[in-house]
Formats: sequence, structure tokens, C-alpha cells
Amino acid sequence: MRRLPLAAPYLLGSALLVLAPLGLAAALAFTDYFGFRAPEPTGTDNLARLAGDQVFWAAVGTSALVAAVAVPLRLFLAVGAALLLARRRGARTALGRVAAYLPSVVPDAAWALLWLWILNPLYGPLPALLGVLGLPDPGFLTTPWGARLGLVLVMAFQVGEAFVVALAARLAIPSRLHEAVAVEGGSPWFAMTRVTLPLMAPVVLVLAVRDVVVVVQNAFVPALLVTDGGPVDATLTAPLVIYRRAFEYGELGYASTLSVALLVLTGIAAAFPLWLAARLAGRQRVA
Amino acid sequence: MSLVVEGARKEFVARRGARVLALDGVDLEAKPGELLVVVGPSGSGKSTLLRAVAGLESLDAGRVLIDDRDVTGVPAGRRDVALVFQEAALFPHLRVAANIGIGERARGTRRREVETRVREVARALDLEPLLGRMPDELSGGERQRVALARAMVRSPRVCLLDEPLASVDTELRLRMRAEIRAVQRSFGVPMVHVTHDQAEAMALGDRVAVMAAGRVLQCDTPAEVYARPATAAVARSFGPLPMNLLPAADGVILGVRPERLRVCREGRGRPGSVVAVEPSGEECLVRVLPDGAEQDLLARVPWADAPHPGERVVLAWRPEDEHRFDAATGARR
Repeated sequence: MRRLPLAAPYLLGSALLVLAPLGLAAALAFTDYFGFRAPEPTGTDNLARLAGDQVFWAAVGTSALVAAVAVPLRLFLAVGAALLLARRRGARTALGRVAAYLPSVVPDAAWALLWLWILNPLYGPLPALLGVLGLPDPGFLTTPWGARLGLVLVMAFQVGEAFVVALAARLAIPSRLHEAVAVEGGSPWFAMTRVTLPLMAPVVLVLAVRDVVVVVQNAFVPALLVTDGGPVDATLTAPLVIYRRAFEYGELGYASTLSVALLVLTGIAAAFPLWLAARLAGRQRVA
Repeated sequence: MSLVVEGARKEFVARRGARVLALDGVDLEAKPGELLVVVGPSGSGKSTLLRAVAGLESLDAGRVLIDDRDVTGVPAGRRDVALVFQEAALFPHLRVAANIGIGERARGTRRREVETRVREVARALDLEPLLGRMPDELSGGERQRVALARAMVRSPRVCLLDEPLASVDTELRLRMRAEIRAVQRSFGVPMVHVTHDQAEAMALGDRVAVMAAGRVLQCDTPAEVYARPATAAVARSFGPLPMNLLPAADGVILGVRPERLRVCREGRGRPGSVVAVEPSGEECLVRVLPDGAEQDLLARVPWADAPHPGERVVLAWRPEDEHRFDAATGARR
């Protein structure tokens, strides 16, 4: 309780900026509300509508699919970069670290517009490169699966924060553990798979939890700006459906229902890695 | 099974380009079945020497031979040496059994065979009840015993210990000393044990190598190093108390151990006055400033004979307790 005064600004901020809106949204979820008149309580009508809302559930499926590919890919890139850039000091390592972090500094909208150009079927460099290499062009903006792949690519490289956290987790492993493996004749592969990655696992799992949330939420910007949900709703992700319900159809009440539903679903998806992370971390206390 | 180090040199570039000579031409030999203790203050190069033998550090010059095979350029994993680290370096995510067996697994031994080996070594070291525990469920002494078991499981050609008892409390340290000794005897493997603790070096070593500033000053049995220190620096650094050194005529420094210095009320010898009296268990340490000298001398005397601070006394010693060193080089004369 002595720490309460120090925590007060944070508690006040999260109460005003997170908890209060969340509570309002949860309340609005059981109303009809269009923003002109006071919300009208409708009991469980919205829930019944949610259960039968094929557009929303299809979008949840798209979000889950994108996350299922993007989250492992993003973690692979973040942890891989952290392992490669962990040890050696010097200009090259410093440059590499900057390069790994840089995409996260670019504003999401600018990043999305950049990829709109990179993926463009007429003058984009990536389809052109694939053409030069004789590889098939999946039609990044024009076919349903190509567009989903494009969406994953847009999100794949913005892993600066995860990279920094993974790097810190890697550097926290005492060097004598790796020396012990070296003296015992363990190969670098053995050291990585039996020592480095297991010891980083609790942190990586927490990153996975965070990444599920980030990918599901962040898929909104590229889905809106790069693919606009298309073609044929192939990249219509859940946040985009909610956005359209709220701001194009003006159904703020029902959009709140969808938001709360997405929050619950994301929470369920994140719970397992979180539980696993806590378990692993409990087992690995370095005495 | 033996270890030879010849002319080992290693220079580090510290911050701002300053150069530190960690090893300055070190020659050393651990004979088959021998427990060699390398003792020296921190920064004397003893840990660098050990890491160079293990292959974790490269040498600028010199050779490392294990069983007459030159392993100077051989990577750590192929030298067939075991290393016990100061903080045990157990893998926090593995149970004790897996920690002991990890080296065998790393070298590709079959799981079944590893289990058998781990069980054998665990039995020899009384670790069987701990095999299913996680490292954070072990006490400090148990952790070091597991580290010792991990070193022994492969029957290494040489076993290296880097201050394994530095972070263990006094009582346990005394017991672990005996345990290390027993393990070394029963496995018959040459051990090189690095420590800054004089008492540990004296108690444990078949021979001790006294290091300072990247050089081995003397390498002999503990009794011989104590009785006949090769240099004034060894005389100061090795033994329960530093040797008293007194400048004498003809470029000679006289040395007398505090244990052999007698503090008399009268008689022949050097007169002086008592500066301080410190209790030290059964005995006490007396500091005496001889008349006209700048440096006070240390004497260990029984409580009953303890003088009072400020008292006038006479310092005496037997001629055979006198050591003589060259004032310029510090070498024994």
C-alpha cells in the first residue's frame, strides 16, 4: 500500500482511458445506440444477432487465420534477429539492431501505404522481383489468398518491440551456461535448442500473447488502407467489421457488442500461452 | 593422464586500448592423478589460465598439452576436459539428472546409456535422492556437488575447478574440500583447482602454484612453499599470515613468519613498542613497531603472553626461522 501514491497517476490514467471506456462499451453492448438519441436497452437482442452474424464470424475466422500465420512468423523474425544480433559488439551489430527496430518506428499508416506500393501488381517491386526470378505472382492485392498473404507480409516486419524484448531475454542468459555447453562438446545447434531457446521460452510466450493482441488489432490499418477488406471480403478482419458497423452504419450499440465479443475471443486465445509462460517461468528461477 | 602448459602468454585489450598481460609466460604441469591448486589474488591470471586450458580462451603464445597431445588449437568441446564453474552453472530449466547428463547428450550418447552413467556417478556422490529436483530446489553445496558430478560423468582427462567454493559458507566449504579431495582420489583424474583462498590451497593441493601478475612464482608442495618460499612475494602471499619482511644490510631482506616471531619482555633482540593487540581465537595477533623502523611487524602469541598496547618489548627469533631474500629481485638467497 506504500506504493499506492506512486502508482496513482497510472491507475488514474488506466481508469479514465481504458477501464471507463471498456465499461461503457460493455454497457452499450446491450443497447441500440446511433449517437443521436440516448441508448435504448434491448436486453439480449444484440447477442442473438451476434450469434447469427455470418459476416462477423467469417471476419473472426480471417483474423484468426492471419494471426495463426503472422504471429509465428513475427516471433521467428524477432527472436531470430535477437539471436543473430546478441553477442558481437561493433558497427555491424549496431546497424543490424537499428534495422531490426526501424520498421516499428514508421507510423502504421505510412507503413501500410509503403506496402501498397511494394505489392502493386502493375509497378510494385515485389511482383516485379518475383517475375524476374521466374516465380509465380500470387496477386498480392487482386486474389483472395494473395491479399491475405500481402496482409501478413505488411505486418511481418514491424517487430521492433518484440525484438528488443527478445534481445534482452537472450542477454540475460549467463554466458557461463553457454561456456559449459561448449566445454561439454555441444554443437551451436544443441546450445540453441537445449539451452538458449528453452531459457527464453517464458519471455517468448509472453511476446506471443502480446503479438496475438497486436496482430488482431493492427491488422485493421493495412486491411483498411492496403486491401480495404477485399477482394471479395478475403481480408475483412474483425476490427474492420467493427469499424464499419460503428462508423459506416452508425450502429454503435451493436458495434460495442462485437468489440466485447472480440475482446473475449482474444482473451481466450491469449490465455493458453500466458498460462504456459507462467508455468515455465516458475520452473526456471535461477537460484 | 596429465596436463602441461608451456610458455602461455595472453594479453587483453582493456577499455581505452590499455593492455593487460593476463598470462606472462606461464609453465605448469599437473601430473597423472595429481590435485594441483593454482592460488593467487584476483587479477593474477589464474582464471585466464584455467579458461585457456579449457579452450574457452585462446593463447597469444605457448602450448597446452593434454596426455602429450597438443590441444592448443583444438576447440573446447574436443579437449576432453571438464570444467566446474564458480556458481555451478547449472541449467535452471533442467532437472538434476538432465544437468548431469547434458554433456553426454550433447556428445550424442544414447539416452539409455546416459541414464546408466548418471545413476553411477550420482551414487558415487550421494546425489541419487536429488536426481528429480530442479536446480532452484538445491542448497549451495548440493549445487556444487551436482556440478562436480556433471564434470565426472564423462571421465575427463583433466578436471578444472574455477573457485568452486567461493560462494559457499565457511562450514560447508570445509566439508566440500574433503569431498573434492575424495572425488579426485576415487576417479584418479588430474585436477586443477583455482582459488584465492590460501587455506584452501594448503589443505587441498598435492602441489600449489602461486601466481601473481600473470606469472607462476613458485610451484611445489604446500609444505615446501610454506617452509621455503621462492620469493618475498610468495612469502607475503602464501600462508595463514603474511611473512614479516625487514630490510637488512648488503641488499638483503630478512623474513620471519609471525608464527615464529617471539615477543619477549626482556633479553636480546630488536626493541620496539606494541602498537596493537588483536584477539584471534586461542591466540592473539600483536603488532610491534621496532625502534627506528617504518613498518610494524606481526607476531602470533598465546593469550597468556599477550602484551598491552604501548608496552616496551623485545622481538626475537631463532636463526633457523630466518628467511633471506634479495632486496632488488625478491628472490630467495
